[in-house]
This record gives sequence, C-alpha cells and structure tokens, in this order.
Amino acid sequence: MHTDEVVVPDEIPVLELVEPLRGFPDHNKFALTRVDEAGVLCALRSLHDPDLRFLVVPPGPFFGDYTPEIDDETADSLGLESVDDVLALVVVSVGDSVESATANLLAPILVNHRMRRATQVVLNDSTLPLRAPLVTA
Amino acid sequence: MLVLSRRVGESVVIGDDVVVTVLDVRGDVVRVGVRAPRHVLVNREELLREVAEVNQAAASPSDATIAGLSRAVSQRASTTDTRPTP
Repeated sequence: MHTDEVVVPDEIPVLELVEPLRGFPDHNKFALTRVDEAGVLCALRSLHDPDLRFLVVPPGPFFGDYTPEIDDETADSLGLESVDDVLALVVVSVGDSVESATANLLAPILVNHRMRRATQVVLNDSTLPLRAPLVTA
Repeated sequence: MLVLSRRVGESVVIGDDVVVTVLDVRGDVVRVGVRAPRHVLVNREELLREVAEVNQAAASPSDATIAGLSRAVSQRASTTDTRPTP
C-alpha cells in the first residue's frame, strides 16, 4: 500500500498513537494542528504535557518522490481500509538554525485521519535518511 | 541475561515462533538470520536508539523557532512550487 497526497485536516483534537513515539513512552495522545494556513507546517502537541510538541510536515511538498510503503501489520494496527484514510507526516528537527532543519524520512508518522489513530513506523529501507535537509529540499 | 554458545548453523528459539540462527562468523562479525511472524518487529538495536535520539532532538522547539521555520516554509512554497500538479 502506498500513501497518496492527502491534505492535512484543519485539526485533529485527539490523535491516539497505537505505539508511543520512540523516546517518549508515556505519551500516546496528541493533538494535530496547523501552524500555517496552508497546512504545510503542523504541530503535534502531547495531551499529557502541553510543553511537549513536535513539528511535522506532509512530505509531498518537500520530498515529492517519497512514498513510504505501509506493511499489512501497520495497516491493521491503524484500522486502515483505504489509502484515502492515511496521511504520512515526517518529523522535523530544526536544530541550530532554520537552514539546518531536517526531516526524518526513515521513521514517518502514519495517520489514519478517519479513525484518528497514528503510529511512527521504522521503514525497512536503509537508503532513507533519518536527517534529510528540509528547507533546501 | 541468558548466555548461550552456538555454532554456525545452530539456532536459538524464542517463544514459540521466533528462531535466531547463526549463519556465519568472520572475525568479530556474526551474521544471524531471524525467522519471526510478521507482527514481530525485528530491527538493529542502534537504529531504534537513533530514531529515539532524532525524536528527542525534534521535541519541543521554541515559539521563535516555529515562527522562523513557518516563514521559511512559506517563502519556499512561494518561490519554488514543487508540488506535483494533480
């Protein structure tokens, strides 16, 4: 199953992670909100701790040929019935400056926006970078 | 930690359905094969650790950082429209 281009919804107030993000085992509920009006830059904010948030973007505008493959187990865990249900987001690390911002293409967050479930998958493709330059992409 | 000695071609069974087989030993490199059901994730440990580190590095950017990145992303979108046409 491949992910198609899907527009990020305005807001998902409660998004349940079926597996917590690696490194953050105590957070399984997040809100997904748009940071800009275009819905490119988005934020995932923990509902357990409002100080914990992540910047995420849909990969399409930055990495046009990026099509993460979703294995059957992940599709099942997210309750995916159709590719129209799934939205891929990549986590952005900004670091010292905006120019140095990177996106994690190896471990995208896959969202079933219909059922409001998500999970971060580690793709079985060693050519995908954990830190792909974002702004210059 | 349980420690077992195995020769090339020998295996260790974990639970009912995970089998780890030593395929080859050359110097300090051991090649192992893992047979497991699809729902059992098999990954190199350091890779999972690195994903956690990247997540931790990405966590909780400041408001100023978010605003700066938002500007950069908007400028980029207006100067180079790389979005695929429908």
